[in-house]
Amino acid sequence: MAKEAYYCTVKELNELGRDAIPAQLRSNTHLIYSSPATLAFNSPGAEGFGVKRAGLAVPDSIMLIVAPGCCGRNTSLISSMREYDNRFFYLMMDETDIVTGRHLKKIPKAVEEICNCCEKRPSVVMICITCVDALLGTDMERVCRKAEERVGLPVRPCYMYALTREGRKPPMVHVRQSLYSLLEPKKKKGNVVNLLGFFSPLVDECELYDLLGSAGVRTVHEISRCKDYEEYQTMSEANFNLVLHPEARFAAEDFHNRLQIPFIELRRLYQTDKIASQYQAFGRVLGVTFSDEVYREKAEEAVAKFKEKRPDASFAIGECMNGDPFEMALAMIKYGFKVPEIYGTLTAENFIYLNQLSKLSPETKVFSNMEPTMLYYDPEKSGVNMTIGKDAGYYHPEQPNVVWNQDRQPYGYAGVTRLFETLLEV
Amino acid sequence: MRGLRKYLTPFAPDQSGAVSVLYELGGIIVICDAGGCTGNVCGFDEPRWFERKSAVFSAGLRDMDAILGRDDRLVAKLTDAAEKIDAGFAAIVGTPVPAVIGTDYRALRRMCEKKTDLPILAIDTDGMELYDKGEEKAYLELFTVFAKEKYEVCEEKVGILGMTPQDVSDLKAADKVREELKKEGKEAICYGMGDGLEAVERASEVGKNIVVSAAALEVAKYLEKTFGTPYEIGYPAAGELVQDLDYEGKKILVVHQQVMAEAIRQEILRRDSSAKVQTATWFMMKKELACPQDVSFREEDDYIDLVKNGGFDIIFADACMEKMVPDFQGTFVNTRHFAVSGRLCE
Repeated sequence: MAKEAYYCTVKELNELGRDAIPAQLRSNTHLIYSSPATLAFNSPGAEGFGVKRAGLAVPDSIMLIVAPGCCGRNTSLISSMREYDNRFFYLMMDETDIVTGRHLKKIPKAVEEICNCCEKRPSVVMICITCVDALLGTDMERVCRKAEERVGLPVRPCYMYALTREGRKPPMVHVRQSLYSLLEPKKKKGNVVNLLGFFSPLVDECELYDLLGSAGVRTVHEISRCKDYEEYQTMSEANFNLVLHPEARFAAEDFHNRLQIPFIELRRLYQTDKIASQYQAFGRVLGVTFSDEVYREKAEEAVAKFKEKRPDASFAIGECMNGDPFEMALAMIKYGFKVPEIYGTLTAENFIYLNQLSKLSPETKVFSNMEPTMLYYDPEKSGVNMTIGKDAGYYHPEQPNVVWNQDRQPYGYAGVTRLFETLLEV
Repeated sequence: MRGLRKYLTPFAPDQSGAVSVLYELGGIIVICDAGGCTGNVCGFDEPRWFERKSAVFSAGLRDMDAILGRDDRLVAKLTDAAEKIDAGFAAIVGTPVPAVIGTDYRALRRMCEKKTDLPILAIDTDGMELYDKGEEKAYLELFTVFAKEKYEVCEEKVGILGMTPQDVSDLKAADKVREELKKEGKEAICYGMGDGLEAVERASEVGKNIVVSAAALEVAKYLEKTFGTPYEIGYPAAGELVQDLDYEGKKILVVHQQVMAEAIRQEILRRDSSAKVQTATWFMMKKELACPQDVSFREEDDYIDLVKNGGFDIIFADACMEKMVPDFQGTFVNTRHFAVSGRLCE
């Protein structure tokens, strides 16, 4: 028994190509090892903005989790946060419920009971259901309509189906659709834009706000900045949506179909040259030219400042952070740092970065957080002296770590600036 | 309404209890789920996960695995892992998904045994029972499979059954129990908390067992029947759970797992026999351990009503239950129960 964690170099992976990813790096072919990153990846309610927390993004909403007790167990981690106090309720299923489906009849009454015990009348009740109801084929839309009739409030389903994690519409995609499904059609305003994708705001200093302002946009909506349900409803006045996370694509398509609001998709990047190209392309679509030089200079200054202090920085980059580990690794290498190791979930989309990485740093190792042999991961000879991501910190407890999974979303040049400022501090 | 929770998050489920029993024993633990249950166990219900690596895996079931009943895939994954991981056994722990599709755990065990040389434990938990039920199943499966040989009895050795973080809510509890027994010239064998698979195999050599949780009562009976090992019920380190308060003539409610609640009651009465102590539990209540006035809670209202109408001066219960009775005027003593709040003793 080798007792070694499995990895491939980026060169090997690039040669194999997107159609021949080794089984060890495909999560559906093996047992899933429980690393910190796995919790976030595999368990849609466990970490950060999982389904449960995301489902409460609508201001003044509450959630009823209808599930076996085990599915709601770890919610106390979230409900101990002040903003979620008294917003989670549970209707626990037993074996008889599964056999007879009787729990569905109890939901409208349960919704009424929890609404009555709230100090403030909620704006919407989210009903969170889990794998069990996925298998039972529950029509939760219908149950929600019954509950709506009973309480006179919007009631929406929220699907925490871990079983569909790798399907066409995984839980985090679905929850975004549910959240925006409450918007009613409104008259459009040419100077209003929605940012879709995150459940918390972009960092305040993000240049995107200024750039949109320079293009004539007066109001930028983000669901997490809406103070109340009325403000949330004004999101349907937007002229267009900016999709900042690919998991919001379906929600954006819904916007388009239902409210006739088109969308443009932008990526979160850490390569300043690519950020510049993206803004140029975005500007062309809007028919404007963005002046982003100041922001770019600031970001590149932050990189240079860090490089001056730590020219020898050699990173392990994990996936448990606000970014794509392969793109961030490429950025780091282009800035002149070393990246000996990446812990990530390889998809066909990552090959665009792997291709470039294989030219610049062919020996960079790619590990899967989920592969069973990660139990034997040994940091001893990795050459890593700094880590980014919660998972990378877990594998290298002796090295300085930037967790980089904060709620406030780093984006664009401001994200790069913040990252390097944070790296400078550790 | 039955099953509706407004104050308390759901308690630790049976699969968490089963994992808690097996966590330190050096096996491959496969939680037969889609990922959420494993996330719950590792990220919340197993405090040792943050301190030491263990071979806990999710089966990574996907919708078509469940719909088509592709058990062979799980067997193949487990066999693959068994070739890569150095382990003394493999355990398959059930969750709601296999419960819904009616997975045959005995068949699964036989299929796995044919493919690997490892002993296989199959624990048919379903995520709808509470942790103690899962512990009970895991203990029975564990000792049935591994404690087979009869060793010569060593009277100084005392087996501690039911010792898990879920029950004792303190990662140092095993050391405290060892210290207590050491004072009596005994050596405590804390199965699953410090003492591993070899200790389980040699379970027949202990002079007696002490049952510290109702979940371990059945396995204690099994060991008594199989090897003639006698057992006692109690918690040797109960002294530290009871604060120095004025208990004279006081009416006291203790809410915990049954054995711990009883141990606290006995400790209070030892300090002041005039106290009137009632115990209650959200978990299994074994008839042979219960006093007539002991109460079993099922719904939140059961607890609220008992406190409102019981006229208690002091309540020993997990702090998360304090907010449920804001009008309670007496003394609330925070007595952590990890399976309730997910928090350890400070």
